[in-house]
Amino acid sequence: MKTSKKMFAGALAGVLAVSLAACGKSDSDGSSSSPAASNPGSGASPSASAPASEPAKENITITFQNIYPDPTDPKYKMLHKLVDQYQADHPNIKIELDSLNTDQQKLKLKTQAASKEVPDITIVNPAAQMQPFVDADLFEPLNAMVEQNGLKDTFQPGLLDAYTFNGNLYALPDGNNIAVVYYNKSLFQQAGIANPPATFEELVADVKTLKSKGITPLAIGEKDSWTGSFLFMNILLRTNNGPGFLKDVLAGTKKFDDPAFLDAVNAFQDLVQAGAFQEGATSFDYNAGENLFKTGKSAMYFMGSWATGGIETSDVGKDNNVGVFKFPTVGGKGNPDEFMLAPGSAFAVSKNSKHKQETLDFLNWFMLNYPKEIFELKGAVGIGQKVEGDFKAAGYSQMAIDVLNMFTQVKGGDLAFDNTMNPGTAQAHLTSIQNLFVSKKDAKDVAKEHQDAFDENYKK
Amino acid sequence: MSQTAVASAQQTTAANRRRFSVSRILIYALLAILFVTQLYPLLWLVIYSFKTNEEILSGSFFSLPASWQWVNYENALGGGSYWKYLGNSVIVTAVTIAAVIVLSGMVAFAISRFRWKYGQYVLLLFLVGMMIPLQSTLLPLMLMFKHIDILNTRWSIILPYIAFQTPISVFILAGFFQTFPNEIEESAIVDGAGVWRIFTRIILPVSVPPVVTVCILTFINIWNEYVLAATFISSERLKTLPFGVYSFVSQYSVNYGAIGAFLVLGALPVVIVYFLLAEKITKGMVAGAVKG
Amino acid sequence: MKVLRVKPWTIAAFVGPGLLLYVCLVFVPILVSVYNGMFDWNGIGASEWAGFANFHKMLFNDKVFWPAVNHTLQMAILSLVIQLPVALFVAILISRHVRRANFLVTSYFLPVILSVVVIGQLWKTILNPASQGGMINQILDKIGLHAWTHSWLTEPKYAMYSIILVGLWQYLGYHVLIQFTGIQNIPADIYEAARIDGADGFKADRYITVPMIVPIFKISVVLSFIGSLQSFDRILVMTAGGPAHATEVLASHMYYQSFLSLKYGYGSAIACFLVVFSLAATVVVNLVFNQLEKRYT
Repeated sequence: MKTSKKMFAGALAGVLAVSLAACGKSDSDGSSSSPAASNPGSGASPSASAPASEPAKENITITFQNIYPDPTDPKYKMLHKLVDQYQADHPNIKIELDSLNTDQQKLKLKTQAASKEVPDITIVNPAAQMQPFVDADLFEPLNAMVEQNGLKDTFQPGLLDAYTFNGNLYALPDGNNIAVVYYNKSLFQQAGIANPPATFEELVADVKTLKSKGITPLAIGEKDSWTGSFLFMNILLRTNNGPGFLKDVLAGTKKFDDPAFLDAVNAFQDLVQAGAFQEGATSFDYNAGENLFKTGKSAMYFMGSWATGGIETSDVGKDNNVGVFKFPTVGGKGNPDEFMLAPGSAFAVSKNSKHKQETLDFLNWFMLNYPKEIFELKGAVGIGQKVEGDFKAAGYSQMAIDVLNMFTQVKGGDLAFDNTMNPGTAQAHLTSIQNLFVSKKDAKDVAKEHQDAFDENYKK
Repeated sequence: MSQTAVASAQQTTAANRRRFSVSRILIYALLAILFVTQLYPLLWLVIYSFKTNEEILSGSFFSLPASWQWVNYENALGGGSYWKYLGNSVIVTAVTIAAVIVLSGMVAFAISRFRWKYGQYVLLLFLVGMMIPLQSTLLPLMLMFKHIDILNTRWSIILPYIAFQTPISVFILAGFFQTFPNEIEESAIVDGAGVWRIFTRIILPVSVPPVVTVCILTFINIWNEYVLAATFISSERLKTLPFGVYSFVSQYSVNYGAIGAFLVLGALPVVIVYFLLAEKITKGMVAGAVKG
Repeated sequence: MKVLRVKPWTIAAFVGPGLLLYVCLVFVPILVSVYNGMFDWNGIGASEWAGFANFHKMLFNDKVFWPAVNHTLQMAILSLVIQLPVALFVAILISRHVRRANFLVTSYFLPVILSVVVIGQLWKTILNPASQGGMINQILDKIGLHAWTHSWLTEPKYAMYSIILVGLWQYLGYHVLIQFTGIQNIPADIYEAARIDGADGFKADRYITVPMIVPIFKISVVLSFIGSLQSFDRILVMTAGGPAHATEVLASHMYYQSFLSLKYGYGSAIACFLVVFSLAATVVVNLVFNQLEKRYT
């Protein structure tokens, strides 16, 4: 009896010791994998046609965590084609694709980050969303790599800022999008509306007209609460008479009870109260919401330009039936050429990668070839790099070309809420806005909810 | 034994058949309604797997597809990952179930049959873990697995699966073992059988019912498990069926038809095996039953 | 009293492997959660000692926490008082009136093996507003009960009950299966004896079936309780805890705090609460059933 008790206690203690050692959040264990930095000077061999000329051909595996798991998605095809090609040109390099759906990839990366087990290449969201990872020093700066082979110049000007912290660039985006409103021309005609709305007030009036004809005016997938927030933030971009409201709050020069914010809440509620959105919107996920528009059940759809590809291939997009317009002015304020900007998810390289140089070389080559491949697969609307090629000749629709033209008119704008403020504040904001879909609120209360969340999450 | 119970019950009611005819109709109606509500979803899933995304999301409950989308099955089977994932799922599930039965059986035996002061404390210790949310263990497990270097191997999911299923299995098995009369061991000891022999030759053979319960429970919890698997497995060659399901979910699009097809393909072997074993399973599902 | 006297090392050999695995992979993570609950930590970067601040905030300053406790309890209790009695009733009916009972019981069990992705889709087509193809509302409309139609998943008043309903449906067959086989194992001679004494039909059920099935019922109760506390994937798929936390349960609250709000320390505190809460519930269930078993055997 006595012995067994001792044994048990001993076993428990041993286990605890192991686990406590494991708990140590010091990174002494993480840095054990210092890479065999193959002379960075001669690292200028990233082109596929001229394979690396180093004599030592050690077989290595690069893990590439990504969010393109669907074989029917153009990005999946692009990814697999490029990876296959690179492996063929570099027989000693194996690229292991860990393809996950977006939510799961986020969860996995966060779990991996806690134990400094970040895969060689992973995917992060821009700005505030990647800040915690950068603060934890998990990513390799790409400043030098992006200069090689002129990669930097392929990106649209200013885009890389969203991935740059203290002068260091940490990730390369797969896209860059703006928020637009898609509309169904035949449904507009059916309701007797001649032109897309030029002001928010016209928009509300059109909503009422459409509603009275039994047409759902605006489709939304508010179960994924960022969709409503994205729209709300565009209203705020107008009522604030320009970008930067959240930055001002962060800088301490504005508070959420600012008239611009209150106006935005009220304008948003006008839309809700006018019956703009489908019934039960908060249980529709992104796809179910978008599908209402794609199947001709709703007249308008506010979304990032990434939706273009899916809409142009849907039934409703045939015969040039779908148009796009810029989000209008609200109460005479704002400039329609200022957009909600959505820099895409981006590829980052792990600081602890065992094969850092090879990983950087591969990513450099990958990003250089990305635009051409994705253009051919007709997925090039809203990518973050400049594309050589005639879109019209390549078979892109008129709507896609209209969207592309809007990109050229962009005169600045704001990032989404969760790209600007920290996750705690962002979650409170998303809840607060979602609540407006089910109950009418005093704008001051909404402002207070935001301010309280902000104060709590940014204390110290 | 059980047949006689049913038979006698039926006899009793047969005598009263006339008297209760109205209530019998009600009873059959109730059972029939339940049959439909419980079985229709499977049919619905099969229909679903032949629809286009638009038809699925437009969400009409009874409608048939306008044209049958075999392409969903092509997509689901494309690339051959289905067979690979199925194989992995079978391996992982089989190893887990076997280990859970042996390990928790031994623990339950010790708790319920050994004269041992600390048995109840051990049981309590297991009860603590019965309801821990899996998500809150991800980080600690990640750290541990990193240190013992089993990340991205089958062990990284099999071990936690076993550990997570042990508490409830111990709970069920210990409850069952407790109902045995002491004479069992007494006579065995007289025969000179050792503890291990008593466990494997006497206790386990008469414990088929709760063991089957544990099997089913473990199977249900593991076959569709995704969160843990997705976190600890990165290599394509080790992935399990749920990866296939979620591979049709992209950032801004979901291929529902292919998901449906993949689920049908994933459920098919289960349903077949299940109906083949149904007789045994239902008979076996009695855990801790009053001994007759 | 137990008769097997064994040497300590035998006990160790029997208990050791299972216990070791369990302690390492389940119990230690629980302790780690308690420890993490003491930190202000985003789960990624540096952490800062916070003492009991997280626990204090959870209990006194979190507007979502107590409603989530409430929803969790609702889920557990409703499945206890509705699902299990119904399952027992159905099990009795089947064992009494159906010849090919196994097939029926097996069929009832099938929803359990369906993936939550499909179940979410299925029930949305049932619960959505009529204008979006929701079956229930369309039927209500057709039979002139328009006033009864609701957006079942998005009106805060009904959303939680809708989700509970889905759980009741999905796991009904599971409990029917457990109860049914329990009834089948009741020796027939007991019913015989009772019949001679004049106890028949439902009277026999009341005095024989119900008491005899207590041990099985206990397993059902515990399983249903665990199921209610752990199952939030259903919520994730159907409402994501919304609208505005109306369907938040403890497990989903923990998940969102840990991994979306990046308050891992706080999420760990919620996880601790969940564990303590569950343990208490299990102990209570055990005590109650021990009393019942004593009374009936």
